[in-house]
Amino acid sequence: MSEKPEKFIDENGLRLDGRKIDQIRDIKIEIGILNRADGSCYLEFGNNKIMAAVYGPREVHPRHQQKATKAIVRYKYNMASFSVEDRKRPGPDRRSIEVSKVSREAFEKEIFTELYPKSAIDIFIEILQADAGTRTAAINAASLALADAGIPMRGLISSCAVGKVDDTLILDLNKDEDNYGQADMPIAMSTDGKITLLQMDGHLTQEEFKKGLEMAQQGCREIYELQRKALIDHYNNTQKEIIQDAPVESVKDISTESATEEDPIEDPVISDDVPDNGNTVNDDEIKEDIPDEKEEVILDEDEDNPAIVSDETEDDTLE
Amino acid sequence: MKDKDMDDTLKSEESVLPESHIFVLPGDIIGTVEEFILGNNTFKHGGNVYSTTTGEVNINKKNHVISVIPKVGIPPMIENGDIVIGRVSDLKNAIALVEIALIEGKGEREIVNNQQAAIHISNVKDKYVKDIYYEFSQFDIIKAKVIDTKLMRLSTSGSNLGVIKAYCRKCHVILTKPSGNENKRDKLFCPVCGNYESRKLSSEYSGPAA
Repeated sequence: MSEKPEKFIDENGLRLDGRKIDQIRDIKIEIGILNRADGSCYLEFGNNKIMAAVYGPREVHPRHQQKATKAIVRYKYNMASFSVEDRKRPGPDRRSIEVSKVSREAFEKEIFTELYPKSAIDIFIEILQADAGTRTAAINAASLALADAGIPMRGLISSCAVGKVDDTLILDLNKDEDNYGQADMPIAMSTDGKITLLQMDGHLTQEEFKKGLEMAQQGCREIYELQRKALIDHYNNTQKEIIQDAPVESVKDISTESATEEDPIEDPVISDDVPDNGNTVNDDEIKEDIPDEKEEVILDEDEDNPAIVSDETEDDTLE
Repeated sequence: MKDKDMDDTLKSEESVLPESHIFVLPGDIIGTVEEFILGNNTFKHGGNVYSTTTGEVNINKKNHVISVIPKVGIPPMIENGDIVIGRVSDLKNAIALVEIALIEGKGEREIVNNQQAAIHISNVKDKYVKDIYYEFSQFDIIKAKVIDTKLMRLSTSGSNLGVIKAYCRKCHVILTKPSGNENKRDKLFCPVCGNYESRKLSSEYSGPAA
């Protein structure tokens, strides 16, 4: 175990691991890595390493737990004995039962359980390496595993913690900040901004709570974008592997076409495509996709084409 | 008259916008309730239509139905018209009870709305059936079509439907289909005890592995 640091935030406003106070740790996501699970996700969140698996909807055992009108959601959060510095005694304990309960409740209302009466949706979380904020990381992983399992949901769940060290609010605590800090407040949020989990350990004033909640919500939104990207990348890639000419490409096609045809200063997609097909796409999605595509296209024209032309002319003159 | 014309145009043209194939995730807004009728994998909240799954938006412009075609494996459900494979678990006077194991073309994932299915004697085949005992036996593996999901009724009328694997009533050995014997068509032969049994056979019957 490390000693309590003298200062959590240095004179430049950076934390022990070099992050800014409102910066989340790096996230690495892999979807669909377990063959035998209906949906799965491996997620690294800083030094946390989490495996999530989803099974079902399937038959409920023991039978008396089943509900006649809806599916039950079962969430099992488990820490591997090697996940922490001192060996953890394996099996469920007071803490993991509590984490399982609050996390289950974070998902229950977002899943369309009424579509699958008399069945169970099982979510298994395995903490392979822990470094504070495992419950938030686990929720992020479970959300993606549920999406991978094709379970109908009202939205994805993103989760992030906010805490207080040296009387300063910081986003996404790491281990030292969690162990020696003054407060820790994990939240989970749905796509449309509903808070589905909120816990607090330590003390925050009312003002700090309000500011902290906003910071954590911002963190959740950042994580949502990463989750979104991971899902899109995963399914676009698997599509390409299965079918050669993947129809998923059409999103890109539309945006590149409109970017090349129209004046790049204007935002062409909103004015052109949307009313035409009577299809309103998520505004965020458009903002996300288009600028990137435009940049790429312009770069291609500027750099590649002149190069090719000049090459050809050189060749011609040589011959 | 007007309605009939409308129906005809609906049927003649499956108008699906090609540009509607937009990749969406659960919780993405795909339209408004004023624009569309909600199709599969969508839900409405506060006047907007959202996707419930990961997939591509599909808009049928003729009847204004918006739906999402999933790009993930969705939980398999038994639906009317599905071809299912199962095992005969019991025979009653007029019905055969079947345990469904899988739905053709829907993968090996556990079926969500699985329950005991039944084939009534009237749905075994198109001909007169004197006794269901001549058509099925316990432990037979059968292929059948779902005709009612509420009571989970199946039918085996059709040349490809029926028993695809059968066991001898005497010695529980897999029965073989005798080859080239006109009299014994629709009969099965036990390679161990020489017993002949009749079944409602599927054209896909497979005997013991050669």
